[in-house]
Amino acid sequence: MEKIPSPCIGINPIKLKDSSFLQGLLKEIKNSLGVQTKIITVLNDIEFAYHEGRGQYYSTRILEELNRLTPDKYLRVLAITDKDLFIPILTYVYGEAQLDGRAAIISTNRLMPQNRSPKELMKFSSRIIKEALHELGHTFGLTHCRDKRCIMHYCRTLREVDEKQTKFCFFCETLLMDKLK
Amino acid sequence: MNKTMENKTCARILIVDDELIIRESLAGWLKRDGYSIVTVESGEKALEIISKESFDLVFLDIKLEGIDGIETLSKIREIVPEMPVVMITAYGSINTAVEAMKKGAVDYLLKPFEPDELSLLIEKILTSKARDLENLYLKETIKDRIRFDRLIAQSKNMQGVFDLIKRVAPLECTVLITGETGTGKELVARAIHSHSQRREGPFVAINCGAFPEQLMESEIFGHERGAFTDAKEQRRGKLELANGGTIFLDEVGELSFKMQVNFLRVLEEKLFYRVGGSRPISLDCRVIAATNRDLKKAIREGIFREDLFYRLNVFSIHLPPLRERKEDIPLLARHFLMKFSKETNKHVENISRDALDLMMIYDWPGNVRELKNAIERAVVICRGSQIRPQDLPISVGESNKREGPDGSTKLLPLKEIEKRYIKQVLDDTNWNISLSSKVLGIDRSTLYKKIKKYNLKH
Ligand SMILES: [Zn+2]
Ligand SMILES: [Zn+2]
Repeated sequence: MEKIPSPCIGINPIKLKDSSFLQGLLKEIKNSLGVQTKIITVLNDIEFAYHEGRGQYYSTRILEELNRLTPDKYLRVLAITDKDLFIPILTYVYGEAQLDGRAAIISTNRLMPQNRSPKELMKFSSRIIKEALHELGHTFGLTHCRDKRCIMHYCRTLREVDEKQTKFCFFCETLLMDKLK
Repeated sequence: MNKTMENKTCARILIVDDELIIRESLAGWLKRDGYSIVTVESGEKALEIISKESFDLVFLDIKLEGIDGIETLSKIREIVPEMPVVMITAYGSINTAVEAMKKGAVDYLLKPFEPDELSLLIEKILTSKARDLENLYLKETIKDRIRFDRLIAQSKNMQGVFDLIKRVAPLECTVLITGETGTGKELVARAIHSHSQRREGPFVAINCGAFPEQLMESEIFGHERGAFTDAKEQRRGKLELANGGTIFLDEVGELSFKMQVNFLRVLEEKLFYRVGGSRPISLDCRVIAATNRDLKKAIREGIFREDLFYRLNVFSIHLPPLRERKEDIPLLARHFLMKFSKETNKHVENISRDALDLMMIYDWPGNVRELKNAIERAVVICRGSQIRPQDLPISVGESNKREGPDGSTKLLPLKEIEKRYIKQVLDDTNWNISLSSKVLGIDRSTLYKKIKKYNLKH
């Protein structure tokens, strides 16, 4: 029988101080999207995207580099940084993705827990999972969803992030599965 | 065509800024929000496009080469005074932003914006716009007298129906409503009830085709304890429940011959008995019946009693099929659009011209109910703010051919119907397997099996 290469999403952690959530994240992405996940190193650092005046990193530039450098065999690439990200028109972003494209990035910078209690740490890793799936959703062409419980809902506050589920709603899921088939 | 369906806009946002990087980053952000975005780099270009196309919202930079933001704003307000404009301003030019507010900008944002502030502002502007539209719509429906109770229509023949309802409602007489399925017979019955002297009483509906004869008897007349094997308790029937109000006998043409006889007696004597009972109960409700059958033909065929027909048909109202009152389609479509976009909390605000054209040529065999279902589904599927032809579960070439090749309506085996329906759903969803399986209520593997079984091809 002919072996069909299974599609894979590359996860690129960039100099994370805390990477305890990584294995859990890989598993969640695999379960939610039904696609293999693998840790890869496309970018070692993101200093090229640093903005002196703002002291932040320009996420759109990083996405361009990710897209350019990630080998074709990867269906998507998701970078994770703990640096604060921005796009020129906004003061900050939790993450960014190429709509219907290949690259996405999330920052853990503003998702940090208030303390190191197990409960707060759980919240922290769950926020990362939600943001990661949200940005990957954009790469599959999904736009923001009005259903507050859906992963594709745009959250204005961390509280809203904590309140939404780690799930795509019926319609986002349908559209996503069509892209994935 | 209905005037109110025109000059409606699709939820689009125009960005006017001379800096490419600002245009691109704002456009990118808003696209992920699901909006459709147009960007231009100057006031001149903005005015040019605004005079040709319509937008729900404009982001306008205050500092522009050529004519500046303030002047552009004034000109936009001359061309389209109702179009909301949000000024984009840098830290140094807040005074100018305040001036812009006086000139009619709805708000201003200081670069760079807080992401939550931006999303709140857009939501506020777009919902208030949707609310304005809805208010306008309500006022129009009242003004044009196109609404009667829960019925909506502006066509001449339906206006005639409204008049009949008003005339017959205050009388006590029996009414027979005829019309194809989905034309709104029950809504007419309810409208008669709510304009009658019995409006404070109950409205009880029963589908005469829904039960086998014995059950039907006990549904309508009720039964005494022990009247038949399963009658463990005494039970009141629909005629009793409708006491003081109206009973609506839907699909009255489906009544068995025996039930027709029973009913005739009830209508003549104004009394009835529970099944197994001997105490007469007096009939104190108005009777409204409806049918999609040709009862006169049924009489000729000997399956419907002529005497019952004349008892029911004291006053008759015929509802025309939707294809005979196509001028109501835009109005109804818009009504259902409002209803469902509100219920699903989605910002679907209008129907594209193409989609409306498709609705106008389609012949709607399922009438208003089919239209309602089509819009509900379209609102759910629709990703933008506008319903497009591909969102509608109808296609004219196929569905209008309701007759067989010999011109007669053929009765088909269930398998053939299943095959055709699956094919239709697949075609309507452009062979989107996930969506089709959800529409059909079966899982994907079952759908694949059926596609294989029936040898369906894209
Ligand atoms: Zn997003
Ligand atoms: Zn969703």
